[in-house]
Amino acid sequence: MLVYALVAGLLFGLYFSLVGIGLNLVFGVMRIVNLAHGDFLMLGAFIAVGVSALAALDPLFAVPLAFVVFVLVGLVLYRLLVPRLQGSVNPEMLSIILFFGLSQVIEALTTIAFGTSERSIPSSELGAILAPLRVRLFGDADGPVELFGQTFPATWAISAMVSVIAIGLVYVYLYRTRLGTLTRAVMSRRDEAFATGINVDRVSAAAFGIGLGLAAVAGVFAPFMFGSVTPAFGEDATVTSFAVVVLGSLGNPLGTALGGVVYGISYMLVQTYLSSWADLLPYVLLILILLLRPSGLLGRRVRVA
Amino acid sequence: MIRKLASAFAAACLLAAPVLAAEPPAEIKIGTLYASSGRYASISMPVHSALKLWVDQKNADGGVYVKAFDKKIPIKLVAYDDQSNTATASTLYNQLITQDKVDLLVADSGSVLTAPAVAIARDHKMFLFDQTGTGASFFSKDNPYIALMADPVSTIWPKPVADFLTQDGPALGIKKIAILYSTNEFTGTQANAVRKFIKDSGAPVEIVYDQGVPTETTNYTVIINNIRAKQPDAVIHLGYAPNDIAFLRNVNEVGVKFKWLFCIYPGLETELLEKNVGVKGLQHVFTYVPPSELDYPVNFGMKMPEFRALWNKSFPDGKVEFGFNAVAGYTTALVIEKTLSVATSLDQMELRRAVFSLSGQLKTLDGTFALDDMGGQIGELTPLGQLELDDHGHLKFVAVYPHDVATGKPVYPRP
Repeated sequence: MLVYALVAGLLFGLYFSLVGIGLNLVFGVMRIVNLAHGDFLMLGAFIAVGVSALAALDPLFAVPLAFVVFVLVGLVLYRLLVPRLQGSVNPEMLSIILFFGLSQVIEALTTIAFGTSERSIPSSELGAILAPLRVRLFGDADGPVELFGQTFPATWAISAMVSVIAIGLVYVYLYRTRLGTLTRAVMSRRDEAFATGINVDRVSAAAFGIGLGLAAVAGVFAPFMFGSVTPAFGEDATVTSFAVVVLGSLGNPLGTALGGVVYGISYMLVQTYLSSWADLLPYVLLILILLLRPSGLLGRRVRVA
Repeated sequence: MIRKLASAFAAACLLAAPVLAAEPPAEIKIGTLYASSGRYASISMPVHSALKLWVDQKNADGGVYVKAFDKKIPIKLVAYDDQSNTATASTLYNQLITQDKVDLLVADSGSVLTAPAVAIARDHKMFLFDQTGTGASFFSKDNPYIALMADPVSTIWPKPVADFLTQDGPALGIKKIAILYSTNEFTGTQANAVRKFIKDSGAPVEIVYDQGVPTETTNYTVIINNIRAKQPDAVIHLGYAPNDIAFLRNVNEVGVKFKWLFCIYPGLETELLEKNVGVKGLQHVFTYVPPSELDYPVNFGMKMPEFRALWNKSFPDGKVEFGFNAVAGYTTALVIEKTLSVATSLDQMELRRAVFSLSGQLKTLDGTFALDDMGGQIGELTPLGQLELDDHGHLKFVAVYPHDVATGKPVYPRP
């Protein structure tokens, strides 16, 4: 049971790294608390449901679609909302109120459009285009995958793989591109970046768009990781994302990867040995990390860098 | 003589006073809550939609007959959205009673959102039409202000499940049972009841796994692995619809084939579960057989095919699924209609008397409405059934227990 919980926790946690990384990118660059993060995740899930139900395509095709759509949505929302927030006396506090309102609006509109019922996608559809690879690796096109002698849902393995790729791409963006270097400069000291002539607005808009795009990509896998989604799904996702982000390090997107894995493994261990208490975990972890290491697991190292 | 005549006139005035004073209201106000969002939306909206459907139907016909005023009076449905939040629900139940001064109070669907109403209704001496809140703690001898309309009370609901396992199970080879439940009033009570029925039966079966998980649980992979490690012959999962969806999907994804598997909602919200789990995922799953499959004799209200047709006409977009909860909402409406037709006033204790007078007499599409002395529903029982595929690959119910209503034999072990 321990080995199963650890491996399941790793797969689950890698996915949660993807869930939280967009939220942390937005906070790191703009110091904006995006309480609608989970709602963008939910919208990504509905894109996947649409791609599967209407176009009869592998939900993996929803990944680039959701990313592009929500990067564009992010750029538009940034222009509409963020400059006014940044001009206020207390942008962090105001952002909480503003994005809470946005979250409510998104949930209400989605409920009107799609109703309140649970929606999901057949598990066998995810990764159907990878069937030859799955047969070669696991000997089965739509069954579970075997790792360390234990069987796990193939959808978990695919979600974890995509999460690793997405986190890798975020790393490449931050550390191997010019825009990424500028982004890190803004994350480090926004006022100094502005003083050195960096177009902070452009960098922030890009980070906001990418943050929302990553949330939507995580959403594509939500119907597989959580069984189903509803328009109300965003609230829980936001809470868990915050736990993951604070655990890793608020303001450090790559710390989120570690936070996600720690969260995932902790969750599965609690579910195995103290199942009734599993849902308290995000809050317990938040309290513990804020008491013992407020900067998060990777906080100091990155802040200094 | 004059004095006697005056006394007689005064006495006559006093006797006539209630009738003369009770001016018929312009409308009968029915107060209720619904959850348009959140965890309980998928069980709340069908119930609420059915209630609204009945209100529209009656108002189009001039209202409902109210015996207290011997005339038809239109209904005004005062409904607020609690968003699946119990704190919000508490505030709104209070508002319905103290601000809106509704004539009849109807709880939201499900035990979680009914729980706040029970204490509030009792404190305000307001009779609560409990639609589907089946939690055992709601019903007690010292609380006359509640009756359960449409589901069997949770303490007896799972009896066919436990009886099948303890009476037919050993002959099939069922010796080890696993129970997994969500920790809320509804499924927690059902788990307690199953556990008690099994232990009291003295049958040669053993509970090898018995765990509760939070109702918000959406991922069961590790738990399924833990259950598998105990090698049970039968697995009982008691959860709400989202729990069942996640659990059944995880069972299929991990490739586990439990020999005997029971879940509540494949029977209650079959359309919803079929959409989310798929036909193959539901094949051979044991569940409650809903009233739509049983064709109960009806002496009041629409029969199942009529109700289904009206539902499809009223909600053609399919955003609210037709299922057990839709039937429950309509059943509540029928009990209210019949109550108003026999109650001699709108006094809350008179409403209670009227509701209890229907016990054993009222037969709706949900079965026979029957209450115990505490207001718990003991009619409208759902047999144990198994989902199988028909020749066209569609799901069909095979009732397997009790034997007198059985329509087939159980498939065990699951192939």
